[in-house]
Amino acid sequence: MLDLYHWEPNTFALKVLITLHEKAIPFTGHYVDFLKFEQYALPFGRSTEVAHNPELDGPVLVSDGAAMTESFFISLFLDETAAEAPLRPAGAYGRWEVFAWARFLNEIVAPAVSTLGAKKYLVPALAARDRRDIEKALAEMPTEEQKSGWRSALEDSYPAELLEDCRRKAAIGVGKVEASLSKSDWLVGSAYSLADIDAFSLIDPLRDLAPELLNDAARTKSWLRRIGLRPAVKAALGASKTGRPRQAYTPGPEHSRWG
Amino acid sequence: MLTLYHWEPNANSGKPMLTLKEKGVAFESHYLDLLNFDQHKPEYLAVNPNGTIPAMVHGDMVLTESTAIMEYVDEAFAGPSLRPQSPEERWRMRWWMRFFDQYFAPSVSMIGWSVFVGPSVRSRDPDELKAAIDRIPLKERRIAWSKAIYNTFSEAELAESRRRSAIGIQCLEDALKARPWLAGESYSLADINGFNLGYALPLAQPQICNEEKTPPIMAWLRKIYARPATKATWEMGRTQMASRVTYLNG
Repeated sequence: MLDLYHWEPNTFALKVLITLHEKAIPFTGHYVDFLKFEQYALPFGRSTEVAHNPELDGPVLVSDGAAMTESFFISLFLDETAAEAPLRPAGAYGRWEVFAWARFLNEIVAPAVSTLGAKKYLVPALAARDRRDIEKALAEMPTEEQKSGWRSALEDSYPAELLEDCRRKAAIGVGKVEASLSKSDWLVGSAYSLADIDAFSLIDPLRDLAPELLNDAARTKSWLRRIGLRPAVKAALGASKTGRPRQAYTPGPEHSRWG
Repeated sequence: MLTLYHWEPNANSGKPMLTLKEKGVAFESHYLDLLNFDQHKPEYLAVNPNGTIPAMVHGDMVLTESTAIMEYVDEAFAGPSLRPQSPEERWRMRWWMRFFDQYFAPSVSMIGWSVFVGPSVRSRDPDELKAAIDRIPLKERRIAWSKAIYNTFSEAELAESRRRSAIGIQCLEDALKARPWLAGESYSLADINGFNLGYALPLAQPQICNEEKTPPIMAWLRKIYARPATKATWEMGRTQMASRVTYLNG
């Protein structure tokens, strides 16, 4: 039996929920309010893989007692567990392409989109709350990376150069997707795959956060529309409780510190 | 036809080298001298326009990104499987590889570049070095090389890297106390990835990674170095960086 602990279906949680619905895998969803820091008081222990979640705050899938983090690797786990409705190509090269996309998306694009989203939505959401509660939650977070990520949002300390660099990285992401779609309707081979789900969950938010980046990306816009119409994507977004999943951001993964 | 473009068996280059050796896959080795900027020369940029090492050419396919190449090698070739059967253990294998690639290794490598890579090239002609930096295709890599060559790492940056390295060592130690191998019951790509970073830890950080403080890490390193594929891979090294691995003998 699978239990998914997630907040509003945006970015990382959206990716895993889409995968579950595409493959029609039964699971129990547990809604966790990340803005109330409920993710730091979940019923499973804080293993290394949970405490040092590269997404800092993200969905957690619990299977037979093992708590798994990192939305792409969770999606891959789901695809390897259930053979029906495969979401990866059969060949080794196509599978390498899916890995190469994931590496690029999650190392470069994910931090950029998360920071732009945090600046726009998390900063005002935290400013509306009692600061003492937030300081208390921060003090209890397990890692320095989590404390530092949340403090940046609390203090609204996102320098202009950082935001500019986020737009540059997001633009590289859009450029790569657009170039890839000139060769095929989908990012890897000729079929919809985990690479499309991964990229959709991180690029679709740009329609709101940096719409100018999509101005010259007609293929990307059409690809986003096509994916948005899929029943699995609609079902995934149906897990929202606020009705505004696209405004749900946490500090997100760290930007690369070195090289 | 399979060709691997690589530097020393260390960090990113060593990951596909050791994976190929473990699988028993024959390949043509194309050594690039990182300290001579071979990876930014036109001949190599024709293979990998990003100028990052390693790259692998298999028939008419060019593969980059060392960790993704490891998965490809295990998927594409016969030989002993280097990914666990259990999907949960495969998830853990991948989680650890990302922890190494994006958290632990960049911190260890920043320290390594400040004390080793920078000083080894810094004495060369300044104009030649500037031209070499200008030829680097990726902005992030240009910044990385500039910092190493001109020694502009701030004390705060290096202190943060030392803090993260210590956390990485602690996490590794905890994992190896809980399970025989990083993913679980079997030797996997995560151990291969981790060894490429880990073999130098007791040499670079002897005060926090040693026989007394981290016995499971030391036992794990020796267990991996005892494998014939590991010895064969490190024998492909040309510098003292690779040959110092022999401290793990016996």
